[in-house]
Amino acid sequence: MLQMSWLIPLFPLLSFILLVVFRKSSNENTAWIGVLLTGASFVLSFGAWLAVWQGDGIKVEGTWFQLGERAITMGYEVNPLNALMLVIVSLVSLLVHLYSKGYMHGDERFSVFFAYLGLFSFAMLGLVLSPNLLQLYMFWELVGLGSFLLIGFYYFKPEAKAAAKKAFVMTRIGDVGLFIGMVLLFWQVGSFEYDEIFSAIKNGELSQSMLTLTAICIFVGAIGKSGQLPLHTWLPDAMEGPTPVSALIHAATMVAAGVYLVAAMYPLFQASETALTVVAVVGGVTAIFAASIGLMQKDIKRVLAYSTVSQLGYMMLALGASGYVAGIFHLTTHAFFKALLFLAAGSVIHAVHTQNIEEMGGLWKKLNITGPLFLIGALAISGIPLLSGFFSKDEILMSTYADGKYGLFWIAVIAAFMTAFYMFRLFFLVFTGKPRGSQKGVHESPSVMTLPMIVLGVLAVVAGYLNTPWFGTFLTDYLSQGPVELLHADHHGPVWIPFVATAVALLGIGLAYMIYQKGSVSRDWLTRTFPGLSHVIYNKWFVDEGYDRTVVKGTTGLSWLGVWFDKYVIEGLVAGVVSGVQALSRLGSEMQNGQVQSYGTFAIFGLVLLLLIAALSGGYFS
Amino acid sequence: MSTWLLSILIFSPMLGVLVLAFVPSHDEKSIKWLGILGTLFPLGTALITLSAFDMSSDKLQLAETYRWISYEVFQSKGEVSYPIFYEVGVNGLSMVLILLTAVVSVLAAVASFSIKKNWKSYFILFFLLEMGMLGVFAAQNLFLFFIFFEITLIPMFFLIGRWGYVEREKAAYSFLIYNGVGSAILLIAFVSMFMKTGTMNFEKLTETFSLPQEELNAVFITDGYMMGMLIALLIAFAVKLPVVPLHSWMVSVHVQAPPAIVMIHSGILLKIGAYGLITFGAGMFPEEFRSLAFVIGLFGVINLLYGAFLALTQTDVKRVLAYSSVSHMGIVLIGLAALNEAGITGAVFQVVSHGLISALLFFLVGALYERAGTSELNDLGGLAKRMPILAGVLLAGGLASLGLPGMSGFISEFMAFLGLFEKMPILAAVGTLGLILTAVYVLRAVLAITFGTEKEQHETYTDLTSAERVPAFVLLAAIMFIGIYPAWLSDMLRPALDVILLGLGG
Repeated sequence: MLQMSWLIPLFPLLSFILLVVFRKSSNENTAWIGVLLTGASFVLSFGAWLAVWQGDGIKVEGTWFQLGERAITMGYEVNPLNALMLVIVSLVSLLVHLYSKGYMHGDERFSVFFAYLGLFSFAMLGLVLSPNLLQLYMFWELVGLGSFLLIGFYYFKPEAKAAAKKAFVMTRIGDVGLFIGMVLLFWQVGSFEYDEIFSAIKNGELSQSMLTLTAICIFVGAIGKSGQLPLHTWLPDAMEGPTPVSALIHAATMVAAGVYLVAAMYPLFQASETALTVVAVVGGVTAIFAASIGLMQKDIKRVLAYSTVSQLGYMMLALGASGYVAGIFHLTTHAFFKALLFLAAGSVIHAVHTQNIEEMGGLWKKLNITGPLFLIGALAISGIPLLSGFFSKDEILMSTYADGKYGLFWIAVIAAFMTAFYMFRLFFLVFTGKPRGSQKGVHESPSVMTLPMIVLGVLAVVAGYLNTPWFGTFLTDYLSQGPVELLHADHHGPVWIPFVATAVALLGIGLAYMIYQKGSVSRDWLTRTFPGLSHVIYNKWFVDEGYDRTVVKGTTGLSWLGVWFDKYVIEGLVAGVVSGVQALSRLGSEMQNGQVQSYGTFAIFGLVLLLLIAALSGGYFS
Repeated sequence: MSTWLLSILIFSPMLGVLVLAFVPSHDEKSIKWLGILGTLFPLGTALITLSAFDMSSDKLQLAETYRWISYEVFQSKGEVSYPIFYEVGVNGLSMVLILLTAVVSVLAAVASFSIKKNWKSYFILFFLLEMGMLGVFAAQNLFLFFIFFEITLIPMFFLIGRWGYVEREKAAYSFLIYNGVGSAILLIAFVSMFMKTGTMNFEKLTETFSLPQEELNAVFITDGYMMGMLIALLIAFAVKLPVVPLHSWMVSVHVQAPPAIVMIHSGILLKIGAYGLITFGAGMFPEEFRSLAFVIGLFGVINLLYGAFLALTQTDVKRVLAYSSVSHMGIVLIGLAALNEAGITGAVFQVVSHGLISALLFFLVGALYERAGTSELNDLGGLAKRMPILAGVLLAGGLASLGLPGMSGFISEFMAFLGLFEKMPILAAVGTLGLILTAVYVLRAVLAITFGTEKEQHETYTDLTSAERVPAFVLLAAIMFIGIYPAWLSDMLRPALDVILLGLGG
């Protein structure tokens, strides 16, 4: 099975090629091309995962091109970490393909949409299979392309155009960090291979400052892709893309690639305490920062987007706090429950044709499948016991505490409270109470959409049992087969942590219930109590505005300065030379005016000049 | 046959001139088709040459030498004969560039379908231009190089001045003056080298200049002289490349020349600058070149950033692409400055890659101009609806230009920066800012054309015709082929570049 794993990304690529050829077809059965080929990828991925579970693995490489003495290689590798990623990516991609058949029904560019999904899936699976940093970087950029194309799928909308561009550019800022880190490592180690890099680190071939520098550069790439502070602003805007895209790319897979990158390069990070701290702090601060914005957003998808940013922050926090397993565990569970939440949100949008939660309400009865599934997702992300999010979040809190990062621990606890609050604010506003907008003809989505949601719903409940203190630490055992030495394999934080986590989650849900369901606390209680703060939060901490006034304006200003310089200084110099030459030639032509008198004068002048030189230089000319 | 092959290749465009001479000048259709056929013959010959080319050898291949002119000079040591030969030959580098020339010429001939007047004289000049370019890359001595170099200037001057847009004449003069000054410097340097060494042959010159210093001093070739020669050559080719601040002529040519000619200009003519820098600069004066490496790298980064910053706010897509070319030529300098395998290979990859990418982009801009009558970004928008294929290829070309992996632009940028990071990491890190800016201006321009709401006047526009799709797809395929399988190109280049690297001691 493992020998065939190189086929995993090629199936979606084939789907992309076929669908580009059939892009004009109005027959919506073209979707099945995508579904079947992604299904094939999933089957192979699952097989690969089972093989790895039994202790198997594979790495195949060949020379891509020769650079002097060094061969730059390409190939594929299956190890515990990426086998798990393969399953997550191909499964979510498969479900999203299926869901999209219903969601995109009737769209003019139906087949093109599936083609782009195929391209993205190809790139994402290729990224995960890469055995070296260069190959990862290439696919890293290609997933960015897939994301760009799908965010800009409704290309005629100015917002979609702006969002697509912003996503590409902001992630590219991060990519440059990754690029620098990768190249620096190459000149230190002489290879892009993970294995070579890790063994060089182990043998102490790199200085401590170089380790820290390269780790942080690579982390900058992860910041861009995973929407961490300060490069997070593209991710909420990316919600301009069709909702299935948000579920696949901007919740479950691509944005998690940053976390995957840190995990895949973990030995590098482990070698530098500073780098780990940077990862943890960025993650922790992002977690609470994004959660705070999520409290006040009115667009259902934007709430979920900020929630994604926040949850990715949790994963980074875990990795930074030596909680390698916890980070990956949360990545896994989050992929399921967040994809579920997005698909459910898509189902709601599909029904009511608005994304504004103030125009929803009372949908529980009408959407009797979507509603309960959304509730499962919300409970899971809030960290209610027995659901998947509880276990993974618990592990993150445990690792953070065990690592002695108490400040970040409490930040994470507060963020958990906020998470529970904004999720249930969303739930109550959307599904309970009285309908606030016109809800004529609202009906449940077709089964092609609900079926993928049900699968994800089941996974959102059970995925937590991959790693529990009660039933066994399967994930920990599984991941410890990989190249990463799990230093704190068992984080035994204090026993009170799960109780605190559960308590804050219940508190958040309770508060949301009081405000948005029962109405016993006024809705503008928060805005009235903290007017200044809530104004800032409502405006997303003015980050976009800040960037606009500094970076964007500064760059444009520099550009104008350059244009001015080009026009006046450079062209001016040229004009000066030209007019100088012209003046000289005019002088020359004026001398030739046909008057013998002036010729005589010039001749005399010339003679005087020559004599003068002869006299001064002592009569010697040459 | 094979002994004559290269000469046949160089002069093969003349067949087109000969045939065209017998076609009445009002017969538009025949002229245009003959124009394409006339470029296919050199392409065929170039492919035959490629098949006769031994990729693994680092020797000069398919060389031809004929005694041409010689004259005697009486000096203190007696009568000295100065012979000038007709010497041509190819190595991996020039083979690649000849191939690029032949391919881009065919596609530019297809793009010339949009030429509106005086087709006959247009194509005659076009063929002359192609002959000049092929000759430049095949020439093996300074004299021949210079002659072919000049041959490219004259047809270009008329092609810009007669068939260009509104300010075509100004652009043509600007082109002529800048390049004329560059040529003058080149000529002085060449003559001086000839007088000092008595030879014009590239290999012999390289040998002479690499002699030990004592022997060189005996023939009055001092350190200072060599450095002076190198600087003169650098300036001459800096005009061609172009290097900021000598770039303004090139921007106006990009904007004013007809798109088919810009394909050639941006695709190949600018590359003569890079070819000169590599062959004469790094090849003949390695020691001096190395001591100037930082300056060259600095100019590279300045070019990269300056071009990118100016491209950001241009409102005419042709100007965006013009500054983009300035920016991308910076990468050639960055690669050269690295003086290592990665850097030099990256520079040559960038030469080829930018040749293909800018040919593609200008081809598309030409097709767009045909339909819309404008290339102002503000007048365009939403074209993806009526022209999905043009929009798609334009986006693909833009992505190649910003260095998306899987496209040739990525490989060249990657290798050039990889090279520079080994030698001058801080300068290289500053340069990577250009990678972000490139993404910004490329997407800004491409999205302004294809995304957004459709304007009313665009409703009649049609997508690329099947004749137009051929060049677009061929170029895109070539760009992706190099991007996915770079070994094809790097294997061909390696022997030639290894010789240069050996000289550089890197």
